Amino acid sequence: MTKSVRERPRGAAVARRVAGHVGRGLVMIWVVATISFFIIREIPGDPVQGMYESLLQKGMSPDQAERATAVLYGFLPTGSLWDQYVGYMGSLLHFDLGRSLSTPGVSVTSLIGSAAQWTVVPVLAGTLLSFLLGVTMGVYAAIKRSGKLGDLLALSGSLLHGVPVYVIGLLLVAIFTTLWPILPAGGPVDVAFVPGFNAGYIGSLIHHAVLPVVTYTLASYGGWILAMKSNVVAVLGDDFILAAELRGLKRGIVFRYLARNAILPLFTILALSIGMLFGGSIFIEEIFNYPGLGLLLVNSISTRDYALMGGTFLVITIGIVVANIVADLLYTAIDPRVRSGEAS
Amino acid sequence: MSRDSAAPEVRIRDLTVVYKTPAGELPAVSRVSLTLTPGTITGVVGESGSGKSTLALSLLNAVQPPGRIAAGSVEIDGLGDVLRLDGEDLRRTRGRKVGYVFQAAQNSLNPLKTIGKQLLDLGRSHDVEDLRALVADAKALLGRMGLDGARVLDSHQHELSGGMRQRVGIMLALVLNAQVVVLDEPTTALDMITQSTILRIIREVHEERALTTLVITHDVGAVAEVADDLAVMYGGRVVEHGPIAEVLGTPRHPYTQGLIRAIPRLSGDISLARALPGRPPTLGTLPAAGCVFRERCEKRMEICETVEPATATYDGRSVACHAAGRPAPVKRREYA
Repeated sequence: MTKSVRERPRGAAVARRVAGHVGRGLVMIWVVATISFFIIREIPGDPVQGMYESLLQKGMSPDQAERATAVLYGFLPTGSLWDQYVGYMGSLLHFDLGRSLSTPGVSVTSLIGSAAQWTVVPVLAGTLLSFLLGVTMGVYAAIKRSGKLGDLLALSGSLLHGVPVYVIGLLLVAIFTTLWPILPAGGPVDVAFVPGFNAGYIGSLIHHAVLPVVTYTLASYGGWILAMKSNVVAVLGDDFILAAELRGLKRGIVFRYLARNAILPLFTILALSIGMLFGGSIFIEEIFNYPGLGLLLVNSISTRDYALMGGTFLVITIGIVVANIVADLLYTAIDPRVRSGEAS
Repeated sequence: MSRDSAAPEVRIRDLTVVYKTPAGELPAVSRVSLTLTPGTITGVVGESGSGKSTLALSLLNAVQPPGRIAAGSVEIDGLGDVLRLDGEDLRRTRGRKVGYVFQAAQNSLNPLKTIGKQLLDLGRSHDVEDLRALVADAKALLGRMGLDGARVLDSHQHELSGGMRQRVGIMLALVLNAQVVVLDEPTTALDMITQSTILRIIREVHEERALTTLVITHDVGAVAEVADDLAVMYGGRVVEHGPIAEVLGTPRHPYTQGLIRAIPRLSGDISLARALPGRPPTLGTLPAAGCVFRERCEKRMEICETVEPATATYDGRSVACHAAGRPAPVKRREYA
């Protein structure tokens, strides 16, 4: 009876919280879409104009050239910047990101859709792996902090934390594809295999994913181990850990008290780090020639493909915003202090 | 008083605890011997840094690094020398045989778990078979302390007030029926009314369960309400120990006399309370030889500079002071 009384406001609070996050997220996405729209159009170089001019040079009349360009791209860039912006926002509401300019005739949505899997899966795998690894090692580093093992672990964290992600990637390529060639140098999969649910194809997928995933993992491992170590050391000094020992709680239980309290603040960083890795995907996918969002973004910038650029920016932004919302809700679920703070 | 019960006796002998500092290992507790009579409440008073919390932790063999128990023994009836226990034996003793109410009991709870779940963790750690009975006991104890047991067990730490958390800490120390209970500053940071409620509960439960209890405090007034015996600590030594009425009524050690003079009276002029001159010693400023209190002592003699006073018994209490044997203790007019 008392339970239902307590649960109702709690459920309403969660709903309010989610609604607030979604609202703020949408505003953030709109701001990013607007800023990137105007910035992108200020970049010098215009592919449509370029095509038009090259057709003129081939001897077409201006009328013909204009029609040919219009057929090729499906539209002509007419109207003021403001009109373009209004049109862009209008089609965004229908989840229409426009058409690619560098691959004429293909919609940006489908380009991004096929690239997203090559970024999302390795980034999530790398984040989770580095999180698990870093947190575990961080606990060890904290407990053994007065010994050699602890020093070594902390040192490994500091070193890896300081090395830029593309250096890690290049080193891995040099070691595992040249010095000791056991892994493929690039590409997402061996073209010899028929795509589908068969052992050869999936094996090749995994084989090709090893280096990118390891690079993502190493890129953020250092941060985790250092953060977890300092959190564990801080919680070890908390009174309730000593109190738990003085009450004769089993070591495993005391350890769980310690680990759960130390890991809590890391969930916020987890969300931010997923965002950082999307940024890092620009370097990593270039190094491994992995056809994900990062590579798509780089290519779209070099070809001045406005629509694709804007679309990729937008999708990466949405990824970061969603990750933040998920992290915050996760925090609410695991920290009773946040939970009741909202309910009251 | 239930002196005839099965309460265990606690015998601390020549206990020395040192702390590692840049200046070497310095003693926080020096050759302390103290016997807790079965079924009594012994109060330990002293200023900050006098070694009372270190003494309390020694009863559970739980002195934290950089501290180390260098010598001595803590014998508890039925357990033997606690200082020789280690590993699982020591863990099982803590909580089950010797209950401990933490100095900062407000912060002695895991912020992420409800009190009830922490209670179950405690029960499982000590192989309590009937967890339902444990919960019922806990609710009864909390009820006695004026709390709604069911609600408290269902709460997280941050949903409870300081006084409530303190009572939860006391409940957790008592719920496994420990026979020896150590309370380190159980009423510090509480208001006067909560303080006296908690002291009354401690007294009641102590008598009901025939416990041997040690209460550490710096509040002479608080300890006077509950204790049977009183030990006064200064600079890591027990300087005076005996029945509380004797120690507070006719203090023999100059430090005890000074402490009592420093208590402001409820009636009368506040200026009648006289603070003890000087400062308490820290680990680094403890004199290497002679009496630790001599710097602040109004009765200091030549011998105090070189010879540490041995503990001697005078009318029912033990005192460590060269001047204690001499007549002319504090007279009433010193209060006026």
